[in-house]
Amino acid sequence: MAESLQMLMYLLEPEEFVAAGDFLTYKFPVWTWQKGDQAKARDYLPPEKQYLLTRGVPCLRRATSLAYTDADEDAERLVSFAEGGSKDKDDEWVETHAGRKAGDPSSAAGVIDDIPDLDGPASITGNMNTLNLNGGGPTSADDSGIIPDLDDIPDMEEENLEAEEDEATAKPATIVKEVEISKGNLLQVRTYDVMITYDKYYQTPRKGTPLIGSQVFQDVSADHALKTVTIEPFPHSSIQAASVHPCKHASVMKKIIEKMNAGVVEEQQRPRGKDGNKGKWLFRKVTGSGDDSKKTPDPDAVEGMRVDFYLIIFLKFIASIVPTIEVDSTTAF
Amino acid sequence: MPVLQFTPQSSLVQPGFWNELTRLKIDILKLSDQSIPISGSYTPGRWIIDRESGNEIALNGSLSLSAESFDLQIKPPQHSVPAFGTLKNYNTIEEFKAANKAELFNEVTQDIWNATTKTNDPNQLSRFLLLTFADLKKYKYYYWFAFPAFVVKPAWEIDESGWMDSNTKIGHEGLLSIWQALQNVSIPLPYFLIRPSSKSPFEIGKLEDFSSFFANVPEDQRIVSFVDPSASPQNPGWPLRNLLTYLRAQFPDSTRKLQVICWRDVEVPTSGKPWRSRFGIVAIDPSSNMTSECPTAVGWEKNAQGKLGPRLADLGGMMDPTRLADQAV
Repeated sequence: MAESLQMLMYLLEPEEFVAAGDFLTYKFPVWTWQKGDQAKARDYLPPEKQYLLTRGVPCLRRATSLAYTDADEDAERLVSFAEGGSKDKDDEWVETHAGRKAGDPSSAAGVIDDIPDLDGPASITGNMNTLNLNGGGPTSADDSGIIPDLDDIPDMEEENLEAEEDEATAKPATIVKEVEISKGNLLQVRTYDVMITYDKYYQTPRKGTPLIGSQVFQDVSADHALKTVTIEPFPHSSIQAASVHPCKHASVMKKIIEKMNAGVVEEQQRPRGKDGNKGKWLFRKVTGSGDDSKKTPDPDAVEGMRVDFYLIIFLKFIASIVPTIEVDSTTAF
Repeated sequence: MPVLQFTPQSSLVQPGFWNELTRLKIDILKLSDQSIPISGSYTPGRWIIDRESGNEIALNGSLSLSAESFDLQIKPPQHSVPAFGTLKNYNTIEEFKAANKAELFNEVTQDIWNATTKTNDPNQLSRFLLLTFADLKKYKYYYWFAFPAFVVKPAWEIDESGWMDSNTKIGHEGLLSIWQALQNVSIPLPYFLIRPSSKSPFEIGKLEDFSSFFANVPEDQRIVSFVDPSASPQNPGWPLRNLLTYLRAQFPDSTRKLQVICWRDVEVPTSGKPWRSRFGIVAIDPSSNMTSECPTAVGWEKNAQGKLGPRLADLGGMMDPTRLADQAV
């Protein structure tokens, strides 16, 4: 068990980023490797594997419109990783919408259940490398993605452009753009392109998604807007993208993974098939699935978390920053 | 029988496209307003579970342009099929407004008609037109898409039973064999043909091979199919319109009644989810004979207000250095 805990997965070598990316693209084909702008290629990554991209990630409503705000403290947990009662605030991370995740059976957290137990222990040595997750900016997926000032649109409507009503054209009512839902909220579908890249400078993954300026922040949890998420150039193209800042990912990921790792190890040491770990807030579906213990031939074999999972875990982490963007919803496609 | 109605094609322009257009405009095009060939792609419709309500939300697949759209050789993204078009970028908002839209639209329509009747090139059936004006000082991009689709009179009709769940008609094994066949093609097929096979339930063929592929297949076992961007249960997507006209023009004797699959499954459904593809039988009145004349077409995209008018992408927030500096505080 002590050995497992030494797997400092939060510090990734470029090769490990590639391995984790290969696993992500294999398991969830909505993610693909991109070569990006060759002039901006990072030489420590393979030319064809410069960054990870998934297009058109749906975002059904604005985080700012969610009921989970400061008024709903139950939905938000200050996650403290500090040990021994340390008061070090730097070790805390706000997980938003915690109740929502845990309570909804359709939550994509279940996706993790499908991950097969791959052979071969991943031995990861710690060094100061961390992943740099670059979220691409939100893409203007639809009209609500780019909301123009109506005054700016030239007055050139031409209802006579098409001479007659075409009987073979379905009426616009059949087009789903905004859907009235039971709560009376309007569902405004945006889509994001999400990019993950590796940045040696910060050595953490970064996640980048392109909407327009402040509109992006409507999809970012209030606790993280302008702090963790800013608009900056995506390193592999000229596009500005909302970028989830990498600076503190390493330490946060370290804590998350240590917690998870302990949970996984505990699970692996447990008798088969027993469901447990109800207290592990973040990765309940993972640690509680029992899959690991079922598939491990020797219940005593303790291997802890594997490096391949890094990006999967990372997406969970990102999901708490952009709660309405379904980065985690790989099976919805 | 009810008139067959199609879901209009929608568009989605990624910021990278505007970025690349800006670069081209400044470095290469300068004041030229020549037509530029571009490529785009679209995916089948898709369905997202809304975690708040548990409801399933249907999203149509939009014709998507990206930074790679100026490269006609580019491979479309995964699960996407290519579409080719013409970009006309104007130098001033006045020229943009004064563009002879009918003429430009007819040129593209004529291109599609040539592909339908002469060159026999299915990749040109979904050609589109894009008019733009880029206000580079303000990072504002005005644009208007058109997706010309032929108007047929009398119109195509859908069988009384309407569009059906493909699983009830084709079955899981059948759909699986089609899905597998689609994974094995080197270049994604926007349109394809399906026939029963001795090895697997079904096999697929290219649209342009219609005569040979269906040579020994009875008409009631022939199926035509296309990658369907519509997510509407009873309305197939726009690409079917020109496909039907193509089939009528090329094979008038055997296409008065057709079995159609609207292909909407990018992945084999898991965990109890249904196959999404739709099956239907469409028919056309025998009097609706094709002429050698190019038929009229419709297909200007409506704006967010549902009017025939241009759209605006304001990228100031993403590209304007001054505004970026403000946000970076």
